[in-house]
Amino acid sequence: MNKQGQKARAAPSPVTGVFKPDTIRDVADSLNVTSLSDTVASALASDVEYRIHQVVEEAARFMRHARRTTMTTSDIDQALRVLNIEPLYGHSSHNPPTFRRAPPIPQSTSGAIYFVEDEEIDFDRVLREEKITLPNGPRWAAHWLAVEGVQPLIPENPPAIPKDSDPDALAKPSSPSRPGQMFPLTPPSDRPSPVQAAKKQQQQQQTVKQVLSRELQLYYTRLTSALLPPSASDYAKRTAALASLRNDAGLQALLPYLVRWVGEGVVGALKSGAQSENDGRVLEVLLDVIGALLDNPTLFVEPYLHQLLPPILSTLLHSSLPPSHAVHLRTSAAQILSHLLTQYSTTYPSLPPRIMKTLLLALISPEKSRSTREGAIRGLIGIGKEAVRKGLVEGGGAKVVGSECMPGEEGGLAEAVTDALKVLHPPSAQPVPLDDANEPDAATIQQLKDTVGDFFAERLWGDAVWARAVLTGDSKS
Amino acid sequence: MSAATPAPSTPDVTSPSGTNVATSETANGVNKAILDYLRDKGYKGAEKEFLTALETQPEASTSTSSTSSTISAEDLVKALSVYAQKANRPGENAFKDAASVLQELASMGNPATIQNLISSIDAVGAEEILSLDPTDKQEGFRELEAWVDGSLDMYRPEFRPIIFPIFCHFYLDLIQHGFKEAALKFYAEFSPSLAPTHAPTLHHLSTLLLPLHVQNDELAQRFRNEKYTVRMSRSGFGLLVGWLTEGVGGEPMGSGEGFSGKRGKRGRAAVLRVVNNHLRFDVTSSTTTSVSENAWEESTGLLTSVIPQASGSSSFTNAQSFNASKGELKLGMPAMSEELRTETDRALRDQALVERDPGVHDDLKILYNRPTQETGGVPQSELPPYPPSFRTMDIKREVEKVRDARKRIRLERTEVRTTQGVVKNQPLPSICAYTLHDVGEGVPCCTFSQDTSLMAAGFSESYIRLWSLKGEKLKGYRSDFNASSIRDMSSLKKIREKGGSTTRKLIGHSGPVYSVSFDPTSGSAAPPRYLLSSSADATARLWSLDTMTNVVAYRGHQNPVWDVQWGPMGIYFATASRDRTARLWSTDRTSTLRVYAGHLSDVDCVRFHPNSIYLATGSSDWTARLWDVQRGSCVRVFIGHQGIVSTLAFSPNGRYLATAGEDLAINLWDLGSGKRIKKMTGHTASVYSLAFSEESSMLVSGGADWTVRCWDIAAAGGPQSKVKENGVLTNGNTANGVNGDAPTTNGKEEESIETSDLLATFPTKRTPITNVQFTPRNLCLVAGSYLNPEQR
Repeated sequence: MNKQGQKARAAPSPVTGVFKPDTIRDVADSLNVTSLSDTVASALASDVEYRIHQVVEEAARFMRHARRTTMTTSDIDQALRVLNIEPLYGHSSHNPPTFRRAPPIPQSTSGAIYFVEDEEIDFDRVLREEKITLPNGPRWAAHWLAVEGVQPLIPENPPAIPKDSDPDALAKPSSPSRPGQMFPLTPPSDRPSPVQAAKKQQQQQQTVKQVLSRELQLYYTRLTSALLPPSASDYAKRTAALASLRNDAGLQALLPYLVRWVGEGVVGALKSGAQSENDGRVLEVLLDVIGALLDNPTLFVEPYLHQLLPPILSTLLHSSLPPSHAVHLRTSAAQILSHLLTQYSTTYPSLPPRIMKTLLLALISPEKSRSTREGAIRGLIGIGKEAVRKGLVEGGGAKVVGSECMPGEEGGLAEAVTDALKVLHPPSAQPVPLDDANEPDAATIQQLKDTVGDFFAERLWGDAVWARAVLTGDSKS
Repeated sequence: MSAATPAPSTPDVTSPSGTNVATSETANGVNKAILDYLRDKGYKGAEKEFLTALETQPEASTSTSSTSSTISAEDLVKALSVYAQKANRPGENAFKDAASVLQELASMGNPATIQNLISSIDAVGAEEILSLDPTDKQEGFRELEAWVDGSLDMYRPEFRPIIFPIFCHFYLDLIQHGFKEAALKFYAEFSPSLAPTHAPTLHHLSTLLLPLHVQNDELAQRFRNEKYTVRMSRSGFGLLVGWLTEGVGGEPMGSGEGFSGKRGKRGRAAVLRVVNNHLRFDVTSSTTTSVSENAWEESTGLLTSVIPQASGSSSFTNAQSFNASKGELKLGMPAMSEELRTETDRALRDQALVERDPGVHDDLKILYNRPTQETGGVPQSELPPYPPSFRTMDIKREVEKVRDARKRIRLERTEVRTTQGVVKNQPLPSICAYTLHDVGEGVPCCTFSQDTSLMAAGFSESYIRLWSLKGEKLKGYRSDFNASSIRDMSSLKKIREKGGSTTRKLIGHSGPVYSVSFDPTSGSAAPPRYLLSSSADATARLWSLDTMTNVVAYRGHQNPVWDVQWGPMGIYFATASRDRTARLWSTDRTSTLRVYAGHLSDVDCVRFHPNSIYLATGSSDWTARLWDVQRGSCVRVFIGHQGIVSTLAFSPNGRYLATAGEDLAINLWDLGSGKRIKKMTGHTASVYSLAFSEESSMLVSGGADWTVRCWDIAAAGGPQSKVKENGVLTNGNTANGVNGDAPTTNGKEEESIETSDLLATFPTKRTPITNVQFTPRNLCLVAGSYLNPEQR
């Protein structure tokens, strides 16, 4: 109030103060005094302003002695009391009235009107509403503001301002009020400036890094440099590193970094085309690392599975692996996958179905390369018998693959499917071929053709037991 | 122009507040009067012109609406002045005597408005009103400012203080004579340059808008009736007089028209009038260079009423001569009585035997280092009367005092001589902050008992809350007991209340509680037994902490009691009130023992000197005073604050007084001489509480800027040097080079209100600190209520 008044006065334009003669005339109108001359109105306005300043100056004393920096209605009340004026009843500082501004009516000459909002209270609603718990009474909490002149960094104390910080962050909490201020400024708000917030984030990042001890950091760099880049001469070093990963305890802190390192390595290798020998070796090593991590009994890998699976599945299903390593890579990826599933399918029951879905999609959906399909089949083998049956026989995976295979083709994809079928039932030692003429055998052949397609049906013809097992499993399920 | 200058002023006289609207009838009457006048005087040309003007005017008025036929008095007099000027040319100046003009106007039987105007002018004095052209003051003040700004650097600090009183008097003159618009214009134009140093007074003056206000307002009347004292060196005074009379002196180059002109002379005359009537120059023989930057604060202002005047004898014009006239003070500590010392000695030895404490010799040394009557201690006879015999509690207290002295955390600056040189070690205190939460309307005060077992807070909701800081239950005695059944301690224990909690509400006041104080008699040896509180209901109340009830209400003040404080040895206490007095009470009487009157405004705070012979008060009249408790007379006055003195503190060694004011400064005063030692600035909002460490080497302050600050008493203070500001002590140049960007330096300059003796600043999250105090072992306790950000 005072500050406002001062400001208004400091500005050159307003001739009179806060109270305009118009205000007086409005009040006079409300009291049925219509013939109020200009001189009287302006003299009254000046006087009213002076009286109000008197009250406010008195109220300021009460505010100061109440150790507050905002004036409340109770201060005004006290001031009126000591000035021997009847206080204005009905204003409590608990519930300060909120003033609303009504925009001026265009036709009339009067300015904006301010009025106290008077909310209507519906007693029914109030009574129905849940009971409000009483707030706690006043209470105290003690903390160390300073210990031998050093302010401890505890939540009770404001965050320390770095000494070398930018001037605006520094100036804010200690910005001196101009000495000419009539009343002291309200203290600076403690909202951290955006600069400070950014700084904080930075600090947090730093602290995370600092959780790793120096020893672990050193170990990490040594380990990764031993593993990659893979060269034949470092074979001993690499095995040692993998052995360490497989068996050493106390690597838990490193786990997130290793997982991330593996993921990035795989992505890097596959992105670059993955045609060179080197990429193949890199992928091999990385798969070894994953295997080693899963093998280590002291590591708690479960939280990082979602980060580990993408590299495994990428290796398994990628369309273009270096030809020299392709089979080996897919097989080992499938092995790791199977290992992972056996280890975690109990604690993480939704894991196998999800992985199977991914693999089936890769197997059946059109426009997938043969190598992807091969990887998918190997993955299914890794998951188990049931998955193979679902994928190849029920899902028609074998049919799809068969249609893509050249008649009489061996190795690669065809071999993978044969391997998979072997998982369902081992082929008999002395195969008895299905007889085309035999009535039930002919039905079986037809069934075989329907389920696995011509290409693989031909192969299964040779062994009646095998073929029947493939089918019966199918019919059973 | 020169001869007719008084005339243009008349329009403003007629219209102090708006324009007077005269009816067409009166306008005709006026016209007639003017014509008569001109005819009488024989101004033919003027008469003719006026007539033609009159003839054209009715035509215009009849053709348009009736409103234009009215002619304002202002226009009238303007027209009049035009003719008067023209009439000057042929004949001699008819207006040479302003009074005669008025007289003639009055004699001509003018319409009522003019008559009223003339009568109102008569009340003030025609000559004065005509000479008080508002533009005069504008000019005069502008020239004064220009002269001060253009004066030599060595004189400028001396001349600056005279600008402010002249501004105030000009403003008051304008208001008093009804030139409200001119006054506001004057204020708007010139107050910004004065605002930094005089904001509170300026603001107060700006609220005065009518002559009536000036007559009734206290500050305005002080300006009117008292002389404003300005200290000035002899040579500086000579220069000022030279400028006032001859207009010679430092005009800045190219400032427009010179001072030699007529207007300049009139402006200077206006300044001279104020200087003659309302200023007193305290001309010193000291050289101008020796005056420090803030020295004017102590010797400038409306001092005559602030300085107590001795009856009959010569009056004092400055605080120094008054303080010097009051002679020496007895600032030593009271001597310990021989019996008490022997008993304490015995108690210490006994305890040491039981506890096998090897430190007992140090204890005894401390005990015997206490001043006796021979070594400067103040004898008991000098003190206000205390009971002649001592009690067990006194021995306990003394024993604990000695122990505290031994186990105290040292906060003195130590200097260790090493081979590299002297290494200074400034220890800083440990501060424990007690933050109050959920306090409703607010907690104006809060205090800790000396043994830190209790905390008391006074609330705006008129009650006091007591907390046990040790987690013990606060139990009072029951009231339903049979007095005959009490025989010993155990039976006394039985009548304690059952249950209870660690906090207790004391209800009795009917207004916000502004101050609470624990009884110091048990010292740090035992919990206090009494609590005093003061409130807006004009009472001080004594609470017994045995029964947890109000025992006495001390009535005597007419107005809210701002502060209450126990004497250092109990029994007596002092209150400070809005009724401009401080009072001394003893707990066993409900009537006042002494009234300390003399402050010109509220007494905001009161503290006892550690030896209980003196009492200091801080007031809203911007001064602090030291009173002789028994005689009730003022023995020192401390002038220098530029705002209300909000709190004060005595150093435990009894030599210093620290006061904090609304000017955000903390002043340190030497009690013996009454001189200001230094001014400490750094707080950015009101300072609420001050406390000295037990060795008197450090001052801690807490305030509304949510900080606790530590100040070095021994350091010289003064503005911070650049080197330290940059936080690099070793090499200032490189530091400046690194941080030398423009925004950085700006920020630093703004910060430089922190004086160099600020040792440390500890911010809290959002807690205005209402109380700081040191325990006897130099642990600093601070308290305040958390300011909820949702609250406005």
